[in-house]
Amino acid sequence: MNRLSALLINLRNSRVWTSIFRSGYPDNDEKRSLVMVNSLFLHLHPVKVKKNTLKATYTFGLGIIAFFLFLVLVVTGVWLMFFYVPSVERAYSDIQALETSVTFGMLMRSMHRWAAHLMVLTVFLHLCRVFFTGGYKHPREFNWVLGVVLWIVTLLLSFTGYLLPWDQLSYWAITVGTNMIGSAPFIGDMVRLLLLGAKEVGQEALIRFYTLHIAILPLVMTILISVHFWRVRKDGGLSSPEEGAAVEREG
Amino acid sequence: MPETQHEVFPKDPSKTYGLMELVKGTSPMVDKGPEDTVTSWPRLLILEGLLMLGTIVLLLVWSYLVNAPLRELANPDVTENPAKAPWYFLNLQELLLHMHPALAGVIIPTVMVILLMAVPYIDRDRRDIGIWFASKKGKTVAMWAGAYTFVLVVALVLFDEFVRVRSLVSNPWWMPGVVVPVGIILVLSVLLYLIIRRWRPNTREVLVGFFTAFVVTYIVLILFGTLFRGLGMRLIWPWNMPPGGLTF
Ligand code: HEM
Repeated sequence: MNRLSALLINLRNSRVWTSIFRSGYPDNDEKRSLVMVNSLFLHLHPVKVKKNTLKATYTFGLGIIAFFLFLVLVVTGVWLMFFYVPSVERAYSDIQALETSVTFGMLMRSMHRWAAHLMVLTVFLHLCRVFFTGGYKHPREFNWVLGVVLWIVTLLLSFTGYLLPWDQLSYWAITVGTNMIGSAPFIGDMVRLLLLGAKEVGQEALIRFYTLHIAILPLVMTILISVHFWRVRKDGGLSSPEEGAAVEREG
Repeated sequence: MPETQHEVFPKDPSKTYGLMELVKGTSPMVDKGPEDTVTSWPRLLILEGLLMLGTIVLLLVWSYLVNAPLRELANPDVTENPAKAPWYFLNLQELLLHMHPALAGVIIPTVMVILLMAVPYIDRDRRDIGIWFASKKGKTVAMWAGAYTFVLVVALVLFDEFVRVRSLVSNPWWMPGVVVPVGIILVLSVLLYLIIRRWRPNTREVLVGFFTAFVVTYIVLILFGTLFRGLGMRLIWPWNMPPGGLTF
């Protein structure tokens, strides 16, 4: 045995290592269970999953992809916050500076933008997948309802972010969008005023959209995704044709 | 036979508990052989890791090749033409061209969200869980509902552009704004139901038909709004699109 693997084995047996990873390399079923339940990040998963869950053509991985895109958006978004001030005087030039004089600025901004669009798309496709496989059926009714709310929050997150670059595209897109809201019977004007903080899109709207975009909606999204994942587990993992067959057997 | 071979569940002397007996009962896994499940480590985790890597690589490459757009500084005095919402709301903005704004921007979306949320409480038959499109019949229904919706939505958009409902009925305002669009939606939905009924579908298969109609409408209207609406929101070919017409 060479020195490197000896070192690795020593490391693995050290007090520090075993204090972090309690169960050792998962090479038998007991350890494969322990590794899942002992880690905060893995314990959202069940120890065992149905084979159907792993079938690419069942989920197409869409929920997981949507979740990863959200993580990418949080990371790139926090990074963008270092360089952006939500004021009508500075927003646009901050974005320009980000693109021209900040290292990786253009790349990070593009990633944030494209990940957002991709997430809107992915979440909708996930919704379609769940519908067409009958994944909404008992006992998953409530998770479906939660999902519809997640879809709307995803759209709102994307929409509030759209204003922040403060260019013609964002200004008029938000004007058109909030005019649509303003046309609601009875409460439309009120909701529009609440969102914009003024009669037209301006500084008040920018700071409101910013706060919704970087604090309120991400928090709501985080909580809802947590509940969504929790419910997937509590509802017995993912749906599968097995469940229908079991219902049939029991009559 | 030696004694130890019968001890399938030896009691661990260091544990204060042990497996006493196997009983019949109901749990999610009863009646299912062990071959139906696998441990999440490593199979599920590897797949998730691959998805994560794939997503990141795709995003990096795409973002490296295509920059996020940034147009001129916002100017309230210079109206964009066309002035469009972000692409994922262009289906609603497309509706706006054909009916009263409250109907297009608020009432129809709200009704759709409520109907979507109601789906699991309408279809409660569990026998076809986990089967794509419910059944062979469901697939047929989805295909025909999709084709039906596609043709009609395209035809309606073209009709309202080139013939214009408002040039046929313009008074009072709620005729072209509310009665005609709502009437068309209701009549076409009933017609869709009558067509679907040919196959003697169950509740789920009817819902599959209507959901397909919803998705097709949703996507076709986004495509119209994104690719085919130019100056003054008139229909144009995508290659004539002014630069401000793509709201990505
Ligand atoms: C931010 C958005 C969302 C995220 C991150 C997310 C994530 C996930 C994940 C990771 C799963 C596991 C299975 C899979 O990947 O398909 C799942 C399942 C599920 N999702 Fe979502 N989801 C989101 C939005 C939605 C939406 C919009 C709906 C529907 C309206 C929905 C309804 C469901 C249901 C009912 C399940 C269980 C499906 C089954 O057991 O077959 N989710 N979601």
